[in-house]
Amino acid sequence: MTMTMQWEQLEQYQPVVVKMLTKSLEKGRVSHAYLFEGQRGTGKKAASLLLAKSLFCLHPLGIKPCNECRNCRRIDSGNHPDVHVIAPDGQSIKKEQIELLQQEFTKTAMEADKKLYIIEHADQMTTSAANSLLKFLEEPRPGTVAILLTEQYHRILETIVSRCQVFSFQPLPPALLANDLIEQQIPPHMAFLAAHVTNNYEEALELSRDSWFAQARKIVLQLYEMLKKNDLQALFFLHDQWVPHFQEKQQIDLGLDLLLYIYKDMLHIQLGQPDYVVYRDKIDDLQQWALACSQRQIVQSMEIILQAKARLNTTNMSVPLLMEQLILDLKEGKAFV
Amino acid sequence: MKIAIDRESLAKSVQDVMKAVSPRTTIPILTGIKITATSQGVTLTGSDSDISIESFIPVEEEGKLLVEVKETGSVVLQARFFAEIVKKLPQQTVEIEVGPNFLTVIRSGKAEFNLNGLDPDEYPRLPQIEEENIFKIPTDLLKTIIRQTVFAVSTSETRPILTGVNWKFENGELTCTATDSHRLALRKAKIETENPQSHNVVIPGKSLNELSKILDDSNDPVDIVVTANQILFKTKHLLFFSRLLDGNYPETARLIPTDSKTDIIVNAKEFLQAIDRASLLAREGRNNVVKLTTLNDGIIEISSVSPEIGKVTEEIQSESVEGEELKISFSAKYMMDALKALDGTDIKISFTGAMRPFLLRPLHNDSMLQLILPVRTY
Amino acid sequence: MQKMYRKQGRIILHVDCNSFFASCEIARDPSLKEKAVVVAGDPKERKGIVLAANYIAKRRFGIYTTMPLWEAKKKCPSLVVLKPDFSLYRETSSKVFQFLRRISPLLEPASIDEGYLDITECDSLGSPLEIAEYIQQGLLQTLHIPVSIGIAPNKFLAKMASEMKKPLGITVLRKRDVPNILWPLPVKEMHGVGDKTAKKLNTIGIFTIGELAKAEEERLQQLLGINGIRLKERANGIDDRPVDPEAGEKWKSIGNSTTLPYNVTEERILLDVLRELAQSVSERMKRKRVVSSTVQIMIRYSNFQTITRSKTWENPFQEAEEIFQYAAYLLKKHWNGNPVRLLGIAALDVFDKKAAMKQLDLFHYEEEAKREALWKTMEQLRQKFGEDIIRRGANLFQQD
Repeated sequence: MTMTMQWEQLEQYQPVVVKMLTKSLEKGRVSHAYLFEGQRGTGKKAASLLLAKSLFCLHPLGIKPCNECRNCRRIDSGNHPDVHVIAPDGQSIKKEQIELLQQEFTKTAMEADKKLYIIEHADQMTTSAANSLLKFLEEPRPGTVAILLTEQYHRILETIVSRCQVFSFQPLPPALLANDLIEQQIPPHMAFLAAHVTNNYEEALELSRDSWFAQARKIVLQLYEMLKKNDLQALFFLHDQWVPHFQEKQQIDLGLDLLLYIYKDMLHIQLGQPDYVVYRDKIDDLQQWALACSQRQIVQSMEIILQAKARLNTTNMSVPLLMEQLILDLKEGKAFV
Repeated sequence: MKIAIDRESLAKSVQDVMKAVSPRTTIPILTGIKITATSQGVTLTGSDSDISIESFIPVEEEGKLLVEVKETGSVVLQARFFAEIVKKLPQQTVEIEVGPNFLTVIRSGKAEFNLNGLDPDEYPRLPQIEEENIFKIPTDLLKTIIRQTVFAVSTSETRPILTGVNWKFENGELTCTATDSHRLALRKAKIETENPQSHNVVIPGKSLNELSKILDDSNDPVDIVVTANQILFKTKHLLFFSRLLDGNYPETARLIPTDSKTDIIVNAKEFLQAIDRASLLAREGRNNVVKLTTLNDGIIEISSVSPEIGKVTEEIQSESVEGEELKISFSAKYMMDALKALDGTDIKISFTGAMRPFLLRPLHNDSMLQLILPVRTY
Repeated sequence: MQKMYRKQGRIILHVDCNSFFASCEIARDPSLKEKAVVVAGDPKERKGIVLAANYIAKRRFGIYTTMPLWEAKKKCPSLVVLKPDFSLYRETSSKVFQFLRRISPLLEPASIDEGYLDITECDSLGSPLEIAEYIQQGLLQTLHIPVSIGIAPNKFLAKMASEMKKPLGITVLRKRDVPNILWPLPVKEMHGVGDKTAKKLNTIGIFTIGELAKAEEERLQQLLGINGIRLKERANGIDDRPVDPEAGEKWKSIGNSTTLPYNVTEERILLDVLRELAQSVSERMKRKRVVSSTVQIMIRYSNFQTITRSKTWENPFQEAEEIFQYAAYLLKKHWNGNPVRLLGIAALDVFDKKAAMKQLDLFHYEEEAKREALWKTMEQLRQKFGEDIIRRGANLFQQD
């Protein structure tokens, strides 16, 4: 899903949304406010930019933007003076950001007779920012389109939701995304893993080409093998290999996810669903491992990893300590064999 | 694009267009200055999207060669660096050459700078001028009109349309109105035009303040063109564009009283000084409010009381007081702003009651008026 | 001796700073002490006027407050002209009042440079004269501010007494001194009688305080309204106004809050509660004759997290409906939707209604203008019969 996509490409992933949006474009009945909700990587931003281009394109083919004229190009580069994109400034979208937007919209458009704004992560607006926006949505100006994007639909003020036309973006099936990656010459084992980590094509493509990610995969699989050996080698491995590789919080979180997928894979094998396996190249090993433990043990191990993830995200616990505890917990319950 | 250009002319142009460039823009391309070379000369453009300034350097002026255009074309260069570089170049002539990927070389004498340029197609497109839609007005008059009205615009965003000045072009006359809803300034002027079309636009006060700064004090005519989205002002070598405020300006003509119950004629300068003195204490208090009371024999009392600091009373002799007795309170600041805008001649102040707006007008000139809403004391 | 004083009633001091602005400047820069000093609007501005002058400037050169600066300079070419520094004056003023409050908490600041002090209960500190001398010396030594002090059984006489000897005077004025000392004075020397009132009194043949003291009440009431009766009492040395420490600063904020019978999540119910609170806050403001421009709301959630949010509006308010509207605005803006345990409304920084102003608005002034006649009539009635004679019907009803 590159940014210069067309409606048809998006339609493969979001058939319902695209159908409704293109219909309203064809009929020239564009709402003054949209709310696009759905998981990360489901094409919300791409859809918002497509909508913008369809409205501003100088040489559209029907409703399809040409992706080449100066308006299309400037919407991609963020240089179109009448198309504004707002994203959180640090932790949140501040009131001042919305006020600036409002001031912008008290003036005539710079080039055309219409203006459009996109608010990314609209759920991260502060209360006063949301209230300012609400006032703005209540008095729509002709020729103005607002598109709000969110991954946390339930955290948007009810009063804002009620003033927007809401579109729900469906999560992408990982297999579909993995196939797209394989088309881009990504080895299948990397493609499947990346497609599980993110729902976003670009991000997945970047990940699967990233040597850090490949190394991360290797370390996680090694750690599992270490855990199976019934001694403290895993702890040494942890300090020598794992801790230096996974440093940022996001990286550690990802490392834990990769570990979790191993247990999930075993569970899928036990349940007779090999198609869902993420570590496809390791399917033989996984089958052996799955035979050696009970379903209860696997579920228990998964719970332990999820707890570690929660601790990571809610406390300031030192990472080596957190990981040591995880390893001891996993060994303790003999959750693995 | 390849040009050789007179450094001084370039530096002057850069300085002019930099007035429109803001480092805090959200549109990346606007951190740059756009340079366009045609066979006629070189145009520089700077913009913060609210206002845009174009400066034109002709190939030749008064027999002096300013630009040699070896190859036409266009590029956008980072404003901050470009401005610094131009200021510091050693020689009288600067050569600018744009290569592939907008890589730009700036040479002067032995100094050479390589700057990464940006695609000029990314730059906002400004409205084109249609020759038949032009209004003409002398520069100094335009500046006066701005000074006499723009101070009265609202600074609050609660009613955004009031942050601008309403300009009406109608029957060869321009009417400018500004109000923050507590006072109103109105100025009329004749304009020269072959364009019978009328226009009604609202120009952001900030834009007019900026425009005023770049205008000189000559009486050379300024061309004004109104387009759907922008208004533009053209002087000899500068084009100043401003976006407009979107929406309808409230109808104010009917709010201006036509009758009066008390008329006072005073010397604006003396009156201003008296108000200034009276407000000396008042502005330290909670409200900067002064009270005007008519006494006998054309004497007017100006007073103010600030509960904890003290009291000022002054009597001034007016030219005349006609009509009913009056006691009225008003903001000293609004009164002083209005008196300053009226330029110190004899003025007539017309009141219709203590709770109603009153008017200030020059005695023998009905091209301008200032209106102030009084303050009600409890 | 002390007991005798007590029997005669109250003992009130009026402490008046001499040439206050100029004194503050001299206190800051003692080198000015022997010079003629004035504080004036803008020293460079030819048209400035004298706001304050020290005694050298006043006595030796005949310079007075409000004299045009150029005239003052002509009288005294070596005149030192200073720009006013109001923050210095405010700071010095609060130090003076702090000093006085240490003598007795019953201090009523009357303006930036004068105040009344009730020392009836201070006999343990010494005789009234000793206390006055202590104050005068203390302020002069610690703050370098000269004061004149009047000692009397009430505020009016204390004020009259402090005026009698300046600078650095201490004057005792007993009620029995009134006929001898006050009555011969021209009526416009009386505190509370301005030029205009004096001229009016002159029209019915009253030229001295003594003539006012003996004037017919009815004629005075016809001429000056309720104020005429009060002035006659004062002229006879009668003034029972208490020294009110709160009179100056008024009541900084007036608020009310209520704990809800259960945790409320419905906006409608919260608004009903706010309406009641606004009503009671408004009533209290009216009783104290104050207005405010700032509304604050307090929300305590069921988890005891408490927030306060306020906003200042341009025009002062007092009516319940206005307070409710402002409070409702704040609630809608800041309430996060969680269950609420307690709600409160306060009017912050309240101030005397008389100091309140409302800037009229071009688009809405008509509503105000329509009531102009009514306001005028109310003002006239108040002048004639006193503040309480008239209130708007709605207010009257609320009291019952």
